[in-house]
Amino acid sequence: MAFEPLALTGHITRKGVIMSQAILAVRELRKRYGDHEVVKGISFSVQEGEVFGLLGPNGAGKTQTISMLTGVVEPTSGTAEIGGYDLRTQVQQVKRINGLVPQDLALYPTLSARANLSFFGRIQGLRGKDLAGRVEDVLRIVSLTERADQAVEKYSGGMKRRVNIAAGLVHQPRLLFLDEPTVGVDPQSHNHIFESVKRLNRERGMSIVYTSHYMEEVELLCNRVAIIDNGEIIALDTVQNLIAMLGGGVIQVGTRQMDDALLAQIASLPAVKRATFAPKPVAPPSANGELADAKPAPAYPVVKVEAERSQEALINLISFFNERSIPIVSLEILEPNLENVFLHLTGKKLRE
Amino acid sequence: MNIISIALKDLQILFKDRGTMLSLFLLPLLFILLFSGVRYGGTGEVRVVSLPAVDLDGGQAAHRLIENINRAGGVEAKRVEQAEAQTKLAAGEFMRLLSIPAGFSADLAANRPVALRLVNHPDAAASDTEAVQLVVDGVAQNMTLQAQVMASLRHMGEMWAAAPEQQPFTAERVVAQAESQFKVADERPLVSVEEMQPGQLGSPEEPKSWGGMQSSVPSMTVLFVFLMAGTTAASIRNEKKVGSFRRLLAAPMRKVELLLGKMLATLLTTLVQLAVIFGISVFVFPLLGLEGLKLGNHPLAVVLIAVLVALCATGLGVLIAAFARTEGQVSAYSGLLLWVMAFLGGTFFPLYLTEGFLSQIGVVAPHYWANKAFYGVLTRGQDLAGVATEIAVLAGFTALFWLVGVWRFDYD
Repeated sequence: MAFEPLALTGHITRKGVIMSQAILAVRELRKRYGDHEVVKGISFSVQEGEVFGLLGPNGAGKTQTISMLTGVVEPTSGTAEIGGYDLRTQVQQVKRINGLVPQDLALYPTLSARANLSFFGRIQGLRGKDLAGRVEDVLRIVSLTERADQAVEKYSGGMKRRVNIAAGLVHQPRLLFLDEPTVGVDPQSHNHIFESVKRLNRERGMSIVYTSHYMEEVELLCNRVAIIDNGEIIALDTVQNLIAMLGGGVIQVGTRQMDDALLAQIASLPAVKRATFAPKPVAPPSANGELADAKPAPAYPVVKVEAERSQEALINLISFFNERSIPIVSLEILEPNLENVFLHLTGKKLRE
Repeated sequence: MNIISIALKDLQILFKDRGTMLSLFLLPLLFILLFSGVRYGGTGEVRVVSLPAVDLDGGQAAHRLIENINRAGGVEAKRVEQAEAQTKLAAGEFMRLLSIPAGFSADLAANRPVALRLVNHPDAAASDTEAVQLVVDGVAQNMTLQAQVMASLRHMGEMWAAAPEQQPFTAERVVAQAESQFKVADERPLVSVEEMQPGQLGSPEEPKSWGGMQSSVPSMTVLFVFLMAGTTAASIRNEKKVGSFRRLLAAPMRKVELLLGKMLATLLTTLVQLAVIFGISVFVFPLLGLEGLKLGNHPLAVVLIAVLVALCATGLGVLIAAFARTEGQVSAYSGLLLWVMAFLGGTFFPLYLTEGFLSQIGVVAPHYWANKAFYGVLTRGQDLAGVATEIAVLAGFTALFWLVGVWRFDYD
C-alpha cells in the first residue's frame, strides 16, 4: 500500500512548499520535574506539509517537548492540538496521527529489520497484507530491502539509524517527529537520511518536526525554525528571517579599553547598525539537566557590533581603534547563519 | 491485541538468546541432578525425622502403627523404653515422643476410641514437628478408616450369616454403609492424636531416606522460575535504556498494556520452563536410569501451584523493575532478593535443618511457601486442601507483587 499524498491547499512558502491549516498548534506547554521546569510554556504551530525545525543545544528541552507532543509524557500544563485532536483529552487519536523517530536507536537488535518493523506496525494497528505492504514500502524508503532479514545488530550505525526512521514511518503518520535523526552517522548515511526526509515531505506531503543541534541541517530542511534554549522559545521565524536578524553580519571585538561613550561612538560609525557589550558566556545545561561548568568569560570587554554591511563596518572599526591607539585583543566575524543567530541570541554556541 | 503483540515480540527475543535458554532450561536441570545427589550427602537420600515411640501396648495394632509411620516416609519411628524416653526427653536429647497407650490394640479391635499421645519438645524445629504431625495424623486416620470399615463389614457379614435367605444387602446399601463409615471416621476418629507439650523428647534427627529428586526438582524449579523475575526486570530496564519503551509509549495503546505485554511474556516463559523441567524430571530422567520425579496423587494441585509460582515470579519481576532506576540496581535487587529469598525459602537445604531465627524468617519469602506447597503435594501426598495455607499465602504474595509493581511502575 503506497502513501496517499495529502490534499493540500493554502499558501506557498519560500521553498515552494504548499501550506494549509495547522496540523499542530502548541499552547503554553510546560513540563516540570520537582522544582526544575524543563519546558517553560512554549507555544508554536506547524502547518500541514511544513518541515518545522526545533533548534537548540543539548538539554534545551527539545526532546521533552517532543515527548509531550507524542503522548510519551504528560505535560504539567498547557496543551496542544494535533490534527484537530486535543493532546490532553484525545491522546490515543493523537498517537495515531503521530510518528516518532527517537534520538536513541529504539530497536530490538537481535531481531531482523523486517521483524522490528512488523512489530512496530502491529503495535500501530496494522495487520495482514496492509502490514506486509507497509513494511516493504518503508524498507524501500530507507533502501534496506536487500538486507531486511538480517539481525539489526549486524548493521552499521547508519543502517540502524535508517531502520530507526523506518519504524517511525511504518504506519504512515501525518506528522512525523524526528529527534536528532542524524546523530553519530557516517556521511553517506547522513545524506541518505537527509534525502529521505526531504522526499517524504516533498513527495508524500508529510508534516515534519525536526530537532537538531546541527544548524546546517535545519537551514537546508526547515521552512520555519524555533530556537529553543533553557526550555523557552527565544526566536521563531523562517530561516531567512532569523538569519536576517544578524543583518550584514556580526563583528565581535575584544579590547582592553571600552566604556559606554566609546560604545556610542562605535554605534554611530557608518555601516554599523548597533553596538552592545557581548553577553557574558554561560555554559548550557547538560543533557541530564545539571549545569555544566561555566566557560570562563574573557578577561576583557567584548563589543558586539551588528553590521549593515560587514566588510565596510570592519574597516571602520579597525580605523576607529587605531586612531585612538586602543589595542584590539580579539576579532571575530560571525557569518549570517543559524549557528551565529543562536550565538547572537544567547551568547553561547549550539554545540557547547 | 497489543499485549499479545508485545508478549510475542519478547518471546521471539528471548528464544533467540542462547544464554537465556541455558539459564531457563539447562541450568535448572543441572542443578536438580547435582542437588538431588549432593544435598543429602551424595547418597541421593533425604534425612528423615526420628520419632521415638513408647509402646505401652505391645499388640498387633501398635506394631502396625509403627510400621505404617515408617512406610509413609520422612519420619522414622523407633521403639524405646518408657524410662529411657523420659530421661532423654528431660535431658533434651529427644525432641519428640509418640506414646502408644496400653490396650491400644484391644480397644481398636473392639471399635473403641483410642488416643495416641504426641509430645513435642518446645525447642523442636517447627517444620520437623509439623512433618511428624502430618505423618502420624495421616497414619492414624488410615487406621481409623480401616478399623471402622472392617468392623462394618464384619457386622454386615454377621447379619447375612444370621439370615442368608433374606439378602439384606443391596449394592446401594453397601455403598451407603461405606459412606457412613467414612463420615464417622472423619467426625469421630477411632484413633486420635493428642498433641502435648510437657518438657519432653525428640532427638537430633538422623539422615535417612526418601528420594532427593522429590525435593530438589520443585525447589530448583522454584529457584529458577523466580530468577526469571530478574530477567523480566532487566528486559524492561533495557527497553527504557535503548528508547524502544519510549517509542511504544508513543503508540496508540494504554501504558498498562505495554507492561501487561511484558508480563505475559514472562508468564508464558515461566510456564514453559516449569512444564519442561517437570516433564523431563518425570519422563526423561527414568529413561536415563535416573530417579524420576513422582507427581503424587494430585497432579492438578501440582499444576495449580506451578501456575501460581509463575504468576508470583512475573509480579516480582515488575516489582523489581518498578523500584530499580538503573541497570546496576536491577542486578543488585535481583541478586539480593532472588538468591537470598531462595536461600531463606529452603531451596538449597530443607528448613528443618535450621533452628531458631533462620527457620522462622523463611516465611517472608514466597519461595518458602512455594517449596512447602510442592513438598506437601509431591512428597506428603497432600491434596489442595492440605496445602491451602501455602497456596493462600503464595496467592497473597502474587497479588501484592502485581498490585504494587503496576502501581509504582515509572513509565517515564
